[in-house]
Amino acid sequence: MISKVLKYSFVLAVVFPIVFLLGLSLAQQWQFPEILPQEWTFQHWGNSLFKQGDILESLFLSLGLSLTLASLVSVLAFFMSKYIAYSKYRQQYMRLTLVPYILSPVVLAVTFQYYFTVANLSGNFIGVLIAQLFFALPFGIVIFNNFWNAHLKSIEQLSFTLGASAWQSLLKVILPLSKPAIVLCFFQSFLVSWFEYGLTQFIGLGKVKTLTVMVFNFINEANVFYAALACVMLILPPILLLYLNKRILILAR
Amino acid sequence: MKVYPVLIKLLFGLLIVLPLVAGLSYALSYSLGLSGLLSKGFTLDYWQKALTSQNLWVSFLYSLSIGLVSVVTSLCIAVSMALSWNKSIQQGRLSYFIFLPLCFPATVMAFLVLQWLSPSGWFSRIAFELGFICSLNDFPNVVRDFYGVGIIFCSVLLITPFFTILMSNIYRNENLLELEKLSKTLGASSRKTLRCVTLPILFKKSKMTLLLFVIFVMSSYEVPLILGRQYPQMVSVAIVQKIQKFNLNDIPLGFAMSVLYVLLVILVLVLFGKPSRKYLKPNIK
Repeated sequence: MISKVLKYSFVLAVVFPIVFLLGLSLAQQWQFPEILPQEWTFQHWGNSLFKQGDILESLFLSLGLSLTLASLVSVLAFFMSKYIAYSKYRQQYMRLTLVPYILSPVVLAVTFQYYFTVANLSGNFIGVLIAQLFFALPFGIVIFNNFWNAHLKSIEQLSFTLGASAWQSLLKVILPLSKPAIVLCFFQSFLVSWFEYGLTQFIGLGKVKTLTVMVFNFINEANVFYAALACVMLILPPILLLYLNKRILILAR
Repeated sequence: MKVYPVLIKLLFGLLIVLPLVAGLSYALSYSLGLSGLLSKGFTLDYWQKALTSQNLWVSFLYSLSIGLVSVVTSLCIAVSMALSWNKSIQQGRLSYFIFLPLCFPATVMAFLVLQWLSPSGWFSRIAFELGFICSLNDFPNVVRDFYGVGIIFCSVLLITPFFTILMSNIYRNENLLELEKLSKTLGASSRKTLRCVTLPILFKKSKMTLLLFVIFVMSSYEVPLILGRQYPQMVSVAIVQKIQKFNLNDIPLGFAMSVLYVLLVILVLVLFGKPSRKYLKPNIK
């Protein structure tokens, strides 16, 4: 009985933040000590999505950035991790890969920001994309690292023995088998980019207004209702991805 | 010479090694007075200042303690949940809900904690309505406080779901249920089984991940930016503030701090990173 109550409490605790954010985004006035807002409105949603469109613009910018990064990382990490896994220097490669993976993105961003300024990459989409790639790529390689194993190598070699070319083996054998790992890498890199703030703000100079940057701007302006709205926009795609992740991975297996 | 290996090596060098080396070289040269707006040639003054600066060591210790407290607290909650609800987490409806908190970016979680725990926040309003407090000022200051309670609370909310899934997976993969049964058959009590069988295996298998999470929490930026205060500061916030400040003399100091931070993290990884064989061991024979 106690375990059941605890389980339901846990589910409530998990769902509550979403309801809270949604409620706050629909609030018009909420003075202390009222527990619930005194006035409700759809005006913030209308303004953000249709009239001013700034949050909608940020949503598309964030989506564009995260999807481009996730695609790039999935392709690069797939080929690079394969080479690393079959290399006799695998341990050295992986040690080097782990360094940017564990460091704070914002600390490394401040150290290489100078080069971005010199190359005229600060404050624009491409610059932020490249900076995020420096962090997301090691992450992708770590995800793929344990995927390449002796079994997979023997299957690939078997396809060569049976007369397949390198291209055919890749397309017809390796890629279909790699689907779950590629999907996982794509989703994880998408989330790395989607959740990123410090590095985007530092390299983007506040001009590349992703949703996380917008949330911070609204918090600094003490505009809690719009901040809550941007937060809802931030959590919706990951929830959708979580659902798809479960479905696609199950289907891919 | 084949093109493919050369291309991969080139990409590895360009996208992984070069940014790290170039960034650290620039930071090091700036902190040694070799580059930057105020550079007057080689000097160790900034490093001397950085190493003797109380603020720097306070930042490191503060970040480390917040990282350790957050990870230990999350670990306790996660282990309890994983052991009590293992079956539901693996198969039942709970398996859907357990993943849901992972969809919250640190920025959103920090914003939520601010809205809940600040003096005018939701919990303060409930406390007021219930008659526990008479005004805003009576509510305990747990956001932007000296001990970083808000940061710890937010970090615990962020990492506990991940730890719960991790512990639950280890429990299943290591066949701990069977080992527990065996231990009890051999006469051990439930408490002894937990202390001598379950917990040591869970801890041993998750040691590296726990270490990585201490480093992640230590170097977090968004959460302390929203929920932290000016003194003491978490290390990432302190470094960024030094470099972005209008005082140009602080910039080399900030770069010295960043190099020191990177070196410390690498040192920790080299010293305690041996269990990372999971990531490094060759799979190909």
